[in-house]
Amino acid sequence: MPPKRRSTGPAAKSQQSTLAFHGASNKVTKPGTRAANAKKNILAEPVKKEEKPEATDVQVKEEEEEEEPTTAEAAIIEQTEQVQQQTQSTPEEDEARRITKKRIEAYWKKEISGDKAPRAHQQGLSLEEKILRKFDMSGQYGPCVGIARLKRWQRAHRLGLEPPIEVLAVLLKEQEGKDKLAVQRSHVDELLNARADTELQV
Amino acid sequence: MIPKDGSMLIGEPFKDPTSVPSRNASSYKPLHTFALPKGAEKHYQQQYADMYFLRLALLKKAVIQKAHEAWDDFELGGEKATYVERVLDVRQGELCWVVGTVYMEMNLKPNVLDDISKEHWIVAPPPRETYVNSSGADDMMLEDESGRLRVIGETLNSTYVTGCILAALGTEQADGSFQVIATQFADLPRQPQRWEREDSDRTTVTKTKREKSGKVAIVSGLGITGTEDDDLTLDLLLEYLTGEATGPTDQSNAAQITRLIVAGDSLSHASPILSREDFATKKNQKKHVYGYDASAYNATPAEKLDSFLTQVLPTMPITILPGASDPANVALPQQPLHPALFPHSRSFANPPALSNETLHGLDSVTNPWEGDIEGWRVLGTGGQTVEDLLKYVEDVHPIEVMEMMLRWRCIAPTAPDTLWCYPFQDDDPLLLRECPHIYLAGNMKKFGRRVIEGPAGQKVLLVAVPKFRETGQIVLVDLESMEVELVECGVVQPGV
Repeated sequence: MPPKRRSTGPAAKSQQSTLAFHGASNKVTKPGTRAANAKKNILAEPVKKEEKPEATDVQVKEEEEEEEPTTAEAAIIEQTEQVQQQTQSTPEEDEARRITKKRIEAYWKKEISGDKAPRAHQQGLSLEEKILRKFDMSGQYGPCVGIARLKRWQRAHRLGLEPPIEVLAVLLKEQEGKDKLAVQRSHVDELLNARADTELQV
Repeated sequence: MIPKDGSMLIGEPFKDPTSVPSRNASSYKPLHTFALPKGAEKHYQQQYADMYFLRLALLKKAVIQKAHEAWDDFELGGEKATYVERVLDVRQGELCWVVGTVYMEMNLKPNVLDDISKEHWIVAPPPRETYVNSSGADDMMLEDESGRLRVIGETLNSTYVTGCILAALGTEQADGSFQVIATQFADLPRQPQRWEREDSDRTTVTKTKREKSGKVAIVSGLGITGTEDDDLTLDLLLEYLTGEATGPTDQSNAAQITRLIVAGDSLSHASPILSREDFATKKNQKKHVYGYDASAYNATPAEKLDSFLTQVLPTMPITILPGASDPANVALPQQPLHPALFPHSRSFANPPALSNETLHGLDSVTNPWEGDIEGWRVLGTGGQTVEDLLKYVEDVHPIEVMEMMLRWRCIAPTAPDTLWCYPFQDDDPLLLRECPHIYLAGNMKKFGRRVIEGPAGQKVLLVAVPKFRETGQIVLVDLESMEVELVECGVVQPGV
């Protein structure tokens, strides 16, 4: 005889979340950045709107994110902490803190004045993020993968490559903000070292 | 009255007891340029591109300056040479010069993908004698952040290897390759004065009277296997160093030695990564033990090395460098041999918790190593860098290769390409910042010496130290006159 099936009584309220195949938090395709950044919201506004009706799903996802960071992330975390522990700021840091927002905007205008075509796919990014991404992509300061942005700026400065002081100003300002880690890790680094295990949500 | 040939059987008996020669202390100030952070502070998540970037960024200025001096007024066919910033910006037909890192494209170089497809365990790749392709299909490229440029030319048949920074003067051909007329490299950096570090440490200006410096003995490739065949020559060496051998002439010679440097490969089969033969025998063993098999450890070689060192140490301080077959990490820079290997001789060394150097006893140091002996700056390696470089070139003497490495200012140019290396991110200690006075390379096939000169009057003594196990030779360098002697310990077959 087949085993007795449980009668369909009132459905017991279980702690487990229900399966959900829709919604931004359950995408099957590999967003890479999205999974690692659900907590650290770079693209904050569009993602948040979709997540509102599925409050439980977001909670489960958040718990899973408490796992150990990957070695690549761990190294960036440690580099950021080391840099933050330097209590005395160097002369270039002092100068960078004095740079005004207007000057940063003027710097950015000058940077893109030589561009022949408008920048694609950068509509959702803030000015700071755009400046930092351009700094990442400047090959003359070395590879941007596996190193925190602040550390990369300081290394370039130490080698005499004269990295723009406005980039340091943006980095220091962002450091005082909420997402210290997201700012220090370059976007390319996140794409290359994406975590593949955050996709399964069951 | 000691006769000249040291033989005491000829002549009258002595009236006074022969004097016992004594050894002077050795003035020693090691540098810790190649010490890596310990434990969890050592990170491996960075890419090796950081190392190449650092090398280019640090050496570019020096190379550009040298090239400007050489080629500023160079004219060919009425055209002057101009400096081009990026390697890919060369224009066809235009005479220009660029600075970049050399990359040799050779298919016989060990490829990590081959090893992954063949085996699952980490085993040393099959040792290849040379990477040079006999059919001449190897390419040379110049690389910087913008890209790679293929270079051709007759002047390039000299010894260039992956990792050296060059300035190349020439013009681009129709097929995109750069025809090179002349090349320029950074050449020797600034050489410190003798006793510079000691003098700068002093606060008073009075000139101290220093004693006459002695000699330093260098031996490499002891190759202790633990069996009886190394006993004889090792004992002979021991007796020579402690002044127990032969007669008063040799003893007074040996008394002038103030320090012994053991330059690598002291133990014969102690590398943590097994060679292919060792791995094959281990795999075929009946007992399959998961994890580490402690019963397979043979402690005799290490004990023999320890007893050898313990017998020399009371008379002479020793600096020991790890080598390719020693129980130290495989990637450059190799960290000092652990004191646990030397249960008896470590009483002559400062414990690592207390201090990271021992001035008057057993100093276990990194490979490569830099330090001051009697005021002279000495740079020593266990020979892996030179061996690897020789595989890129043909028919080149090791001493020439050592000279080129100094002139390129790279202690290990082929790292990380074919030589395993730690991925440096902030600063590359494998670049030469200050020119040494003496450059030693251990485990060479034959003894060699040469004195080279630099553009600013630097003078470097290059010494290639042969393997003791095969040749029985040790090298003595007189630190006052910079003369090099070779002492051979062996058994003379009677009647031959």
